[in-house]
Amino acid sequence: MTATAFRDVANMAFRNLARHKVKTIITTLAVCISVALYIFVDAWILGMNLESRRNIVSYEIGAAKVQTEAYFAKKDDFPMYESFSGWEAIAKALAEAGYDSSPRFVFTGTLYSRSGTAPLMFNAVDVERDARLLRYEPYMESGRFPQAGKLEISVGTFAAEKLRVGIPNRPTREEFENELVSAAANEGDAEFVRSLYGPPPPSKKGAFDKKDPAALTMDASKLALKKDATKEELARLWGILADSGRMDVRISTTIDLKAAPESIRKEKLESDLLPSLKGEARERLLAAYKVDEITGDFTLVETDEAKIAAVLADMLAVDFSGAVRHVNQLIDAIVVGVVNSPNPKTNGNVAFMPLDSLQDEAGLMLEGRVTELLVRKVGADDSRLPGKDESAASIAAALAAELPGGKLPEGLAVRPWIDYSEDYVAASNGDKVSTRVMVLFLFILSFIGIANTMLMAILERTKETGMLRALGMTDGQVMLAYVIEAACIGAIGSVIGIILGCLINIPMVKYGIDYSAMSAAMEGDFGYRITAFFRSAWNPPAIVLTGVFATLLSAAAAVLPTLRALKMPVTDSLRFE
Amino acid sequence: MTVVKTTDLVKDYSLNGITVNALRGVSLSFEAGEFAAVAGPSGSGKSTFLHLVGCLDTATAGSVSIDGTDIASLSRKDLALLRRRSIGFIFQAYNLIPVLTALENVSLPLTLLGADREETLGRAERALADVGLEDMGSRRPKEMSGGQQQRVAIARALVKRPALILADEPTANLDSKTGKEILELMLALNRTAGTTFIFSTHDKMVMEYARRLVLLRDGLVESETIRESESPHKSATVAIVEGAVR
Repeated sequence: MTATAFRDVANMAFRNLARHKVKTIITTLAVCISVALYIFVDAWILGMNLESRRNIVSYEIGAAKVQTEAYFAKKDDFPMYESFSGWEAIAKALAEAGYDSSPRFVFTGTLYSRSGTAPLMFNAVDVERDARLLRYEPYMESGRFPQAGKLEISVGTFAAEKLRVGIPNRPTREEFENELVSAAANEGDAEFVRSLYGPPPPSKKGAFDKKDPAALTMDASKLALKKDATKEELARLWGILADSGRMDVRISTTIDLKAAPESIRKEKLESDLLPSLKGEARERLLAAYKVDEITGDFTLVETDEAKIAAVLADMLAVDFSGAVRHVNQLIDAIVVGVVNSPNPKTNGNVAFMPLDSLQDEAGLMLEGRVTELLVRKVGADDSRLPGKDESAASIAAALAAELPGGKLPEGLAVRPWIDYSEDYVAASNGDKVSTRVMVLFLFILSFIGIANTMLMAILERTKETGMLRALGMTDGQVMLAYVIEAACIGAIGSVIGIILGCLINIPMVKYGIDYSAMSAAMEGDFGYRITAFFRSAWNPPAIVLTGVFATLLSAAAAVLPTLRALKMPVTDSLRFE
Repeated sequence: MTVVKTTDLVKDYSLNGITVNALRGVSLSFEAGEFAAVAGPSGSGKSTFLHLVGCLDTATAGSVSIDGTDIASLSRKDLALLRRRSIGFIFQAYNLIPVLTALENVSLPLTLLGADREETLGRAERALADVGLEDMGSRRPKEMSGGQQQRVAIARALVKRPALILADEPTANLDSKTGKEILELMLALNRTAGTTFIFSTHDKMVMEYARRLVLLRDGLVESETIRESESPHKSATVAIVEGAVR
C-alpha cells in the first residue's frame, strides 16, 4: 500500500472514532485510567524499592560482607561458632584498597530488663568503624550510642518499648506514676519529671495522623512526652531513670563453641558418627574415645592437643552436631540509648553494643573472632546504590590483591548486600507479582471495553466494510483500517493516562507519603526498609512502555471482530441491515 | 472485444436450511461498450448474476471470465485487485462511506490504485463535474439528496475508468425524474467513454434505455432483445418484458 493510501485509510479510521463520541470517550477513559494507575503504582513501588535498597546499604549492611562460607550457609541460625579471626589484617588490606570496613559479632539471646523481656539480635560492633561505615548511629531517639570498652547497649525503639527501658513517649498514667515519677530520688526531680509530660495533643486525623506512629494506639488515658523538651532536659530525665535502675539489663545467651565433646553416648557414636567416618578418621576417633565402664558412654581419653584437634576436624567435616558445645552465659549491661533510624531493621528487636567489651570471659570469650566484616567504599555517596567498584567481585579482587599470597584466607568469601536481604527481596518480588496481577486485571477490563466498542463498530459498519471490499480493498487493508482505529483509542487513552499518571506522581515524588502508622503497627518488620516517609520515583522507560503496551493491546482488540467480518462473503456484507 | 463471458453459470445457496437455485445455467457474454440490462422478477437471479460477474461471490458451477481471465483461478487477494482495477459498482442503496466527503468518496478507488495525491484530486474533481456535482465535493453523504448520492456513487464507479460498471437496481430508490436524469447521465458516459454498463433492474424506464435487454426467470435466460437504433426500445417489447417482470 502506498503512503497516500495509508494516510487515507488512517484518516478514515480517525474520522470513524468521532462517529460515536460518547462511546469513544468512555473507552478511552478506561485505557487512560489503567495507564495512569499503572504509572502511579509503578513509581510507588520503584520509590519504595530504591529507598529500601539505599536504607539497607546505608543503615544495615554496607555494600558487602566478608564472612565465612560456612556461616553464610547457616546464616538464619546465627551460627556464632562459624566466626573467623584475623579481621584486622583484612580490614587493613581493604583500607589500602580504598574501602571502609567494620567488624561485627552477631549473636542472639534474650534481654531482661526490670519489667520486661525480649528476644533480641545483638550486634557487637566496633563503635568507631561502624559509625564511619553506616548511618544509624546519629539516629538516637534518646540517650546516646554505647562507648567502646564499656558494657553498654543501645536497643531499637520497639524493643525499648517492650522492655520498658529508655524514655517512654506515651506512658499510661499508672506507668507514669509507678515507673517515672517514683524513679525520682527527691521532690525536685519528681517535679521535673512531671513537668516533661502532659496530656496528649488531640488527634485530628484519626489513626493515620501525621508524624506520630503512636497515634495508632493513642487514647486519652495516656500522657505524652512534651515535644519541645530540650536535649539537656532529656539527658537529665535519662539520668534520673537510669539511677532508678530502669536501664539495667541482663543478656542471656548461649556461646556456641566448636570442641571435641567430653563424652558421646554409645548409640549416638555408633549409629550417627561412626558410619560416616572412614579409614584413618575412624581409627583416630576410636583411639581418642574409650567406653566408660560405669556410664557406658564413650569418653575422651586423648590428651594430645593436636590429636584432639584432628578428631574435631573429622567431626566437623561430617557435620556432627555433638562437636558444637553450648555454654550459657549471662552478661550484665546498661542501656544507654534507643535507636530509631529510617531503616526499621535497626529499630526492632535489635541491640548494639561495643565489640571490645565482649572479648574476655565476662563477655563471649571472643578472642578477636568476628562473624562478619561489613565493607563500603571510602566516601561512598549515601544517595546512590553500590556501583560496580563496590560489587562483591570488585571488592574480593581488590582485597586479594592487597593480601599476602594474593587471595582471601581459606573459607572466607565476599558477598553483596542483596544476599543478606532475603526478606526485602521476598517482599519486593511479592509486590512486583501482585501489582502485575492487579494491573493485568485492569488492562483486561479496558481491553474488554475496547473489544466491545470495536465489535459494535465493526458490526454496525458491516455494509461499509462490504463496500470497501467491493471497491477492491484487500483483507489486509480492511484489517489495517480497523486496527488503526482501535490503536487510536489506545494511543489517545495512553497519552492522557500518561499525563494524568505523571501529574499524580509529581507530588508523590516531591513530598511522598507518611508510612509511619503502618510501620509502627507492624513493628517495622514488613520487608521494606521504610519507617516514616518514602517517595515515588520516576521510571521513564516504564511510562513509555505502558503507553506502547496499552496502544498495542487496544489495536489487538480489533483483530478478532475484523476477522469475523472478513469471513462474511462480500454480498452478505452488502445486504446486511 | 468480450468484457464478460459466463458459461453455464450455476449458483445455489441455502436460506434457512432450504437450498435456493438462484442461477441454473446462465451463459451470456457482453462486449465492450455495451449498455445492457438484466431484468426479471424478484428471485429471478439478476442480482446474483451481477454479484458473480462482479467477483463479489463465487459460483457453484460454471465459469465467469473478465477480460479473458477465468476468475475461478484467482485468490481472494487477486479478486480484490481485479475489482479494484477493472470493475465499478453502483448500488441501489448508494453505499457511500458516511465519514468521507463526496470528493473523498470519489477519490477512494484511485487512492487504492496508488495514484498520487494531485492526480487523484484532479480526476475525482473531474468525475464529480461529469455527474454535475462540481460544487458539492466537500459535502458528506448525509448532507445530500438520494439523487446526489447516487451521482457520487456513479462518479466513484467511473473515476478509475474501469472496463465494466455493474449497477444493481440503480434507480430503485429514486423518483422517476431523478431516475431518468441518472440514466441519461450513464448513457452519456457510455457513449463518451465507451464504458460497459450492465444493470440489473425491474424498472421499466431502465429497460427502455438499455440497448440490450436480457430477461431472467427462475435462474434461466428466458429471452434476449437487442435494439439496433438509438431510439428507445419499442414500447411493445418493453411491455412484454415488463409484463413478465410484474
